[in-house]
Parts: sequence; C-alpha cells; structure tokens
Amino acid sequence: MSTSAQTFGGQRHVNLGFAILIFALYVFLLVPVVTIVGASLTNGLMIEFPPQGLSLRWYEEFFARQDLVDGLLMSLRIGAITAIVTSAIAMMAALAGQALSGKLAGMFQLGMTLPLLVPELLTAVGLLFFLYKIELGKTVIGLQFGHILMSFPYAYVSITAALRQVPPSLEEASASLGATGWQTFRLVILPLVTPGLAMGAIFAFINSFDLYTISLLLKPLGGNTLPLALFDFLTYEFKPTAAAAATISIILSIAGVGLVQKLVGLQRAF
Amino acid sequence: MMRSKKLIWALALPALLLLFVFMILPITNMVEMSFRTPGSSEPFGDDYTIMHYTRILGDGYYWGVLWRSLTTAGMVTLLCLIVSYPIAWHLSRAKGFKAVFLYACIASPLMTGVLVRNFGWMIVAALNGPLNESLMALGIIERPLRLLFTQSLVILALVHVFVPFMVLPINNALRNIPQSLTEASASMGASRYQVFRDVILPLSFPGIQPGVILVYVLAVAAYVTPALLGGQMVSYMPTLIIGELTGTFQWPFGSALAIVLSCSTVLIVVVFTRLTWKLNERARA
Repeated sequence: MSTSAQTFGGQRHVNLGFAILIFALYVFLLVPVVTIVGASLTNGLMIEFPPQGLSLRWYEEFFARQDLVDGLLMSLRIGAITAIVTSAIAMMAALAGQALSGKLAGMFQLGMTLPLLVPELLTAVGLLFFLYKIELGKTVIGLQFGHILMSFPYAYVSITAALRQVPPSLEEASASLGATGWQTFRLVILPLVTPGLAMGAIFAFINSFDLYTISLLLKPLGGNTLPLALFDFLTYEFKPTAAAAATISIILSIAGVGLVQKLVGLQRAF
Repeated sequence: MMRSKKLIWALALPALLLLFVFMILPITNMVEMSFRTPGSSEPFGDDYTIMHYTRILGDGYYWGVLWRSLTTAGMVTLLCLIVSYPIAWHLSRAKGFKAVFLYACIASPLMTGVLVRNFGWMIVAALNGPLNESLMALGIIERPLRLLFTQSLVILALVHVFVPFMVLPINNALRNIPQSLTEASASMGASRYQVFRDVILPLSFPGIQPGVILVYVLAVAAYVTPALLGGQMVSYMPTLIIGELTGTFQWPFGSALAIVLSCSTVLIVVVFTRLTWKLNERARA
C-alpha cells in the first residue's frame, strides 16, 4: 500500500516536470513568430521586443517602400500561378498514383515527393545551370518553374491523402451505371476531393511564398521576391519595417493554415 | 475507372516531365558541370578536367568547412530529436480540439518561411533582446551574451526550423503503437521508465529513423540560416557554394563543392541506415 502511494507521488512529480518541459518546448516553437509580430507593432525606431508603445507606422512605411511592395506583389503572383499549376498537375498524378499498385506505387510516391527530400540547394544549383543552357536564365518564367517544382510535393501529398478517403465502391457503382471515366471523375471523385485539392493549392502557395534559396539563385533580372527583398533589407537597414514585412507573410501563413483547418481538419492534413 | 495503362501514364506524364526536366536533368547536369574547365568570359569552359576535385581534396581549408558542416548538422539533428520526441509524444496523446490546436502550433513554424523565423531569432538573441533580458532577470548571467553571429545561434535556429520534420513522423509511429501494449506491460509491473525504454522507444524507431535522415540531409544543405545568423567569420559548405556561384561565378568549382558535400552526406546516411537497420527490424517484428 505504502509503496504504491509512493510511486503515485513520484508520478505526480514526473507529470508536473513533463508538463513544464512540454510548455517550454511549445514556447520555443512559437517564440520567433510572436517576437516578430510584437516588434512590428513598435512605435519606436528600433527593432525590439517588447515593443516601445504600439502603432502601425511601420506598416505604412512598408507600403511606402516600392522595392518591398514590388517584392510582395511578385511573390503573390508567382505563388498564385504555382498554386494553380501544381494542383492541376498533382491532381492528375495523384489519380495515376492511386491506380498503381505494389512496388511501383511506392516508387511513384517517393518520386513525386523527391523535391522535398533532396535539399533545395542542390535543385537550385542544378536549375541555375540548366535554365542558363536553355536560355531561361534570369527570367521570371525560369523562377516560376523552380517554384512549381519545389511546391509540387505539397500538393501531391494533400491530394493523394484526399483520394484515399474516397471508397473504391463509389467508382465501381458509377461505372456500372454507365458513366464514362471522365463523368465519374467530374461528378463523383472531384466533389469529394475538392477540400484536399484546395488544401494542396494552399500549401503550394505558402511554400512558394516562403522559398528563399531557389529564388536567390534563379533571381530574374530586376525582380525580387519578398523574401529576397527582406533579406537585402535586413542586411543593409535593420528597421522595424522588416518586422512588418515578415508579419505580413506570417499572417498569410496563418490564414492558410486556418483555411486548411476549416476545410479538412489539421490532424488529417499531416 | 482506370482500366487502361495508357491513361495512367498520360495522367502521370506532366508530373513526370516536371520532375525529370526540372530536377533530374539539372542535377545530372551539375555533375557534368563539376568536370568543366573554368571559363574566361562564360561562367564555365568547354573542356573537361578533374582539377576542381583535386583542389578541394588537397586543401585543408575545404576539409575544415566540410567537417564543420557535417558535424553542425549532426548536432542539429541530435538536438532536434531530443526536442521533438516529447512534443511528438504529447501530440500523439492529444485528442479533439486540443489536438487541432497543438497541430497548429507545430505546423505554424512549418508554414512560416525559414527566413522569417531566422529573423525572429535575430530579435530574440539581440544584446538587449528578450533572451538576454530574461536570463539576466533570472540571475543566470550578469552581462548580456553576444549570441548573434555565433555557431550556437545557427544551431538553435536550425533546430527550430526542422522540429516539425521530426515531430510528424515520430508522432505517426507513436500513434501506431497499440495502447493495450503499454497497458499490458505496465500491469505486469514495469515502471514507466521501463515501459518507455523497452516498449515505446523501440516501437517508435520507424518514425525516428526517417525523421533523423530527413533532418540531417536538409540541415547539411541549409543555406539561409548560416547566411543570415552565422555572420562573416564562419563558413559552411552551402554559403561557400552559393558564394562561388553568385559572387565569383565559378560554376564548375561551385558544382564540385556541392557534389563533395552531397556524396559525404549520402555516405553518412548509408552508414547510419546500416547501423540502425537492426533496430528497425526489431520494431517491425
């Protein structure tokens, strides 16, 4: 009796210690993001946390800076095109992937996620040479291809996960009622995977919006994406405008994650 | 719906083309580039040579940088595992709204750009930043620490970048362990520590192994973090490579550096997989 009471007391200590540890680890995860958002709201002249008074002046400053705004617009445009193109290609590839079976299916799956598994640096270096050879070096189109490639796995994984939820019996029923393959896709499968498709597009957009290394190497002449513009800004002038710029991209990510949660639920997303 | 093989390949074609033309081909191209002679007006010459490899392998400086990159990534991976395991454990036990909230906390760094997060650490680690202030308030240090542009901060920021990549596979593996198994071993008198050591840890290994490999591979080649937080004093392979490619336009030499780095990484991953193969088999049995 006494021993069990002792272990129980010990367990409570362990539990408390574990709770503190977990809390500290989550703080670690969230600290940089919270700090940036805080620093962007400062009324002072320096990047600091906690902020000196509250104001939105550095957001005004951000939108008054042509180079940063141009970067934002370019990132938004490239991200939007990336989202549309990748989700279309990934939808097709996911349908193909699902029809495969056995070892081939596993290899296909691995191949489709390759841009995520191979370091961005290697892909970027390879693309730099390749685009130069096919005379797309330092062009927006070249950069666009790089972003589509790097964001493709996110769309593929999301759509494949959604396709798995569709029971095969539905397809069979639809086919036995005389629907063509295209009709089955458009009227049965597509409506069921739309949330997954949207999630893939959102993840592809966010990923494209955040890419740095590949954009640095494939940077088009006279064009900057927001992360590139932000890096330059951080190196030459360390002002709270940078925190405002970073907060804008954080808000975009949070909006994206929120949207995904609304559409499919985060637990299923990963 | 898809009885014909042709249709399957037609659907897969755009994706296969994308991956082949814009990834496989360029990376093979890089291997070829690393054997080119340096160019005078172009970034590379027409002839082939192995001089770039002999230059790298014959120069202690490059060995030093390579060693620093490989060991730093190892340190990052180890710390990342230590930080991620409790989080993954906690996450795998959560249900309902709490689980959604925790997923959001873990996914939010994944969904914010590396540059943005590194910038966050710049503010946190500044001389009069919140980290120094709180350490001084707690009486742990007397004077603010100079953290910016040190290797420690690079490691800290990289751990932060890669935590989600480690948490998610481990979480999946932990979720696959049947609750009844841990209960059974506890009911047979095993202490919590014993249950963890003999049941949970071995069974979660199929999540640990891919997490460790992925984080190591990505950490070795991480560019942004050392470039922003590492300062000018210390070089890592990725900063060196990008410097050769964009600064001095030595494309063949930069490629050779990238290939030396990749081969070393692959070698380490193969050795690691071999060494841990048994552990993985045990978990499957």
